[in-house]
Amino acid sequence: MSMARKSVSVSLGSTTRDHRAVVTLGGEEVVVERRGVDGSLAEAARLIEELDGQVDAIGLGGIDLALVVGDDRYLIREAVELAAHASRTPVVDGFGLKAVFEPAVIHRLVTDGILQAGQTVLMASAMDRYPMAHAFVQAGLIPLFGDLMFASRIDYPIRSIAEVQELARKILPEFTRLPFTLLYPTGSEQDAEPDARFGRYFEEADVLAGDFHYLRRYLPARIDGKVVVTTTTTAADVALLKSRGAAILVTTTPRLSGRTFGTNLMEAALVARFGLRYPDPDFAHRVMDSGLEPDIVRLGVDDHGRQGP
Amino acid sequence: MADRDLRAALRDFASRCNDNERLRQMNRDWTRTIAVRPSEDEPVFLRYEAGEVAVTDLADPDLVVEGPNEILCAIFTGETTPTEPYMDGTLLVRGSQDDMMRLDIISLLIWGE
Repeated sequence: MSMARKSVSVSLGSTTRDHRAVVTLGGEEVVVERRGVDGSLAEAARLIEELDGQVDAIGLGGIDLALVVGDDRYLIREAVELAAHASRTPVVDGFGLKAVFEPAVIHRLVTDGILQAGQTVLMASAMDRYPMAHAFVQAGLIPLFGDLMFASRIDYPIRSIAEVQELARKILPEFTRLPFTLLYPTGSEQDAEPDARFGRYFEEADVLAGDFHYLRRYLPARIDGKVVVTTTTTAADVALLKSRGAAILVTTTPRLSGRTFGTNLMEAALVARFGLRYPDPDFAHRVMDSGLEPDIVRLGVDDHGRQGP
Repeated sequence: MADRDLRAALRDFASRCNDNERLRQMNRDWTRTIAVRPSEDEPVFLRYEAGEVAVTDLADPDLVVEGPNEILCAIFTGETTPTEPYMDGTLLVRGSQDDMMRLDIISLLIWGE
């Protein structure tokens, strides 16, 4: 009897979100485990070295290897240096899933009537999830991209894909050289109390999308009736969204033992299972045929007695 | 002499900011005084208010940007970005991380690409 394949996410995030589960992909079980390092790059490097050659794939969480915006790819210096601590085991950051699977999820949500053309979507960051941002716009949703707001607290929503691309060309070549902790909540910041300064944009939106840590960081007191499309959520996160009135929670990765994992870990699981990496031409087929499903939860009646759609 | 060159650079920087509609909108609620302090000279102040920026003689800054005059002039005229001198310690920035990031973004939106 062969041992189950194993993938581990080394996350710069909080250790309080650590978890382990088993996922079935293409008829075979893969062990998936998330291990936080509370924002310590040194500990992340040590852990990657420890796992190298011991597991089938490593996911890098809380940081991307690169930001891909349209045809442009901006390598993130610190992440590339981290990944270099593994010489035998492949290291992925979730972009393969973001490129292949998440646009398909958006298409499905439109087909199922959960999302509709003409709705406004507040997306935490388009530069971090460009394929999803593009899919929303293609589906006819009106975008408010929060890259400058959520990462730098500048009250300026980006309102088109063209402006995302323009700003990325101007900002990302420099910002990807800065310490990542300046740009993204890591460690204990992920558990901080939400800051509702951008509440009016949440109110304007029908759909809240993108990285959950960013959404949580600025979550206002009420998000009644809104659809949330995100990834990494724990049972406590689901309870938080429900208590604030969200109608539907869609996670682009499946819920396992009460929580969903980041795209980096699910991509690592797929790499562990199939031995293929994005952009291998067969990767997309394997992903779509793997049985991977988004998790769609109707959170139902909110605390004020209002019914979701 | 050093002060005069930096003041001219900052006036040009302020003018570019004020001519940029997007920057005016982004900074409409950002009220800050920034001291740009050459290592060997007195600081020059930038004052952001209601989306506009001007070179002023105000003191009591919210953000202090300190470094060799040559580096400061290069940053505020777009000849170099702040990242490299900041990362190698030539440029010191004291103030909130948010303000520092915003100033960086402002310069990249003027001269980036």
